[in-house]
Amino acid sequence: MRRRRSNALTAVMVLMLIYTMLPLAWLLISSTKNSSDLFSSFGLWFGHGFHLFDNVHAVVTYDGGIYLRWFVNTLLYAVVGAGGAAIIAALGGYALAKYDFRGRRLLSALVLGAITIPGTALAVPTYLLFSRVGIVNTPWAVLIPALASPFGLYLMRVYAADAIPDELLEAARIDGAGEIRTFFTVSLRLLAPGFVTVLLFALVATWNNYFLPLIVLSDPDWFPLTVGLAHWNSLASGAAGSGATTVSFYPMVITGSLLAIVPLVVAFLLLQRFWQSGLAAGSVKQ
Amino acid sequence: MSTKRLIPAVLLAVALAACGSSKSTTTTTDEPVTLTFWTWVPNIQKTVDLYHQKFPKITVKVVNAGQSADEYTKLQTSVKAGSGAPDVAQIEYFALPQFALAKQVVNLNDYGAASLESKYGKSAWAQVNVNGGVYGYPQDTGPMVMFYRQDVLASLNIQPPTTWQEFEAAAVKIHAANPKNYISTIDPGDAGGVDSMLWQAGSRPFKTVSPTEASVNLGDSGAGTWSALWSDLLSKKLVDPAPGWTNDWWQGMDSGKYAVWIAGAWAPGSISSTIPDTNGKWRAAPMPQWKAGDNVTAENGGSSDAVVTTSKNKAAAAAFAQWLNSDPAAAKSLNDNGLFPATTALLNDQSFLDSPNAFFGGQQANKIFADSSAHVATGWQYLPFQVYANSVFKDTVGQPISNGTDPAAGLKAWQQRIVDYGKQQGFQMTTN
Repeated sequence: MRRRRSNALTAVMVLMLIYTMLPLAWLLISSTKNSSDLFSSFGLWFGHGFHLFDNVHAVVTYDGGIYLRWFVNTLLYAVVGAGGAAIIAALGGYALAKYDFRGRRLLSALVLGAITIPGTALAVPTYLLFSRVGIVNTPWAVLIPALASPFGLYLMRVYAADAIPDELLEAARIDGAGEIRTFFTVSLRLLAPGFVTVLLFALVATWNNYFLPLIVLSDPDWFPLTVGLAHWNSLASGAAGSGATTVSFYPMVITGSLLAIVPLVVAFLLLQRFWQSGLAAGSVKQ
Repeated sequence: MSTKRLIPAVLLAVALAACGSSKSTTTTTDEPVTLTFWTWVPNIQKTVDLYHQKFPKITVKVVNAGQSADEYTKLQTSVKAGSGAPDVAQIEYFALPQFALAKQVVNLNDYGAASLESKYGKSAWAQVNVNGGVYGYPQDTGPMVMFYRQDVLASLNIQPPTTWQEFEAAAVKIHAANPKNYISTIDPGDAGGVDSMLWQAGSRPFKTVSPTEASVNLGDSGAGTWSALWSDLLSKKLVDPAPGWTNDWWQGMDSGKYAVWIAGAWAPGSISSTIPDTNGKWRAAPMPQWKAGDNVTAENGGSSDAVVTTSKNKAAAAAFAQWLNSDPAAAKSLNDNGLFPATTALLNDQSFLDSPNAFFGGQQANKIFADSSAHVATGWQYLPFQVYANSVFKDTVGQPISNGTDPAAGLKAWQQRIVDYGKQQGFQMTTN
């Protein structure tokens, strides 16, 4: 069947492309400007002089390299948090899809219900809970909530139901493999595209996580990049009068933001074939 | 995880001798102490390092836990929770009464603060005094000054206004020459800015009568004077009700769209670090007066450093905070950081007053700042919950400002919100 050409669709896609790429272009261009240029030149074109390397230098050296510390923190929260979330979602989704046990329907319904609760609404109760336990202002307060991804669990359940034929599991059992062995050697490979999809979702969510770390962390040494950059931004604004500053924060905030999105872009580019195949999984019965 | 070591109080008599205060009971041991200091002053590590050189046994950990209201929220929750609070915290003058009355900061009279009165300017000292106790060491002040663009005013042959009537006349001229330009902006979200203007106009809207009683009157004669003028300026579109510290505002400051900025003496640091290509184009002048020949100013911003009641090293914390805000080397270092000092030593220092400021094209601007500081009107107070009051400014007074209508109605609405909140919090509220 020949695909139909559509100029209208192309036009719409171009508009979509411009809409999504415009902020990125602004970010790239603004990162080359110093403070003077930021406020005296056109937003989408370069100013006088190219200051990208100066800005990057300022970002990584300010306050003893706190930005790099924030970067490492974000990597920690993302890898451990998102990685952990994906593994737990895979295990849980697999169990819900492939095993029959009492309360299975109820658990599935609860998980589905949990997806509807916005994370922001849970942030304050989570803080109070952690405060009681005494883990506030530690990395655990950020990692533990990140490990629970109801959306990931649901996604994996649906994917596992379709991607792993029951006959395969039966064959594995007949051959004498235990359940854990079956999971790791047989099922996990089949689940790979779904797993990577959940991983990427969780990665984006933890990388961009702002509100929860803002509440539970007060020591800047443990901030992720989101909170750290917001911090610098408020210093740049010098609110409430005691905003005396002799440091140019605006270029640092902008360049810091640019550096912060690089790992996500890299991750998506490297894992994109999994992402593309995972999205369409289960849509057509093969 | 916090690595604060909880070792019982260490006090160095040396520190006190150096600061010249008379200390009460002191114990001197050689055990090292770690203090946590919450502050948002950028680059204050340099000043703190001077302290480390002098007193190597005391380590001060500088933590930026947020700015202004963000820090205050964290401070309150951590003091209530009993853990996670710092030893010393930067608290702006408007928020200090709140912490003092809630007994979350220490009365520094117990650490000999009363003898330091002569070291600080009058307005600074007045702002750390709450109900007879001293609750913070003044760190910096913000005496109001009028900053104007020399190039913009000169091009229109306008003399810098000395009275508010002249201010309005200049506003008319500027706006007539180019409708896109304004003499100045007024930020609909900045309670502190309007408070300072009310202060200068003679209004005394807020009073903390006792730890359980407060009074608010945003309709007194000073407030009336202020709102009459600004209602005129806003309705005739002679000032731009643009929020400050935004991209548009900075662009306007850079391009000369706004010719004047009336703010505290800390402002030049922000301008020179954000729009450095305007260096040399600004000049400082006294604030416009309501009566020709008067010299009445107000404060805008400024912070103190207070000792938190949950601190396990109160004496050491007090000694550090005192050093930071009265030692000459420390004061100089803070001043280099853009903070305008609160100490009489620096305010009266001839070389400080005479030093030409490149930012102002070589003008000896410190003279104007010091003069403003010496003429700050007395009697101003803040509410015991000023942080809350300021947070609802935008919804009440900010509305008519943005819309260009009479701010007096907004002041009334603000007063009502304050009274309602105060009653809700258990205060006895009066509106005389």
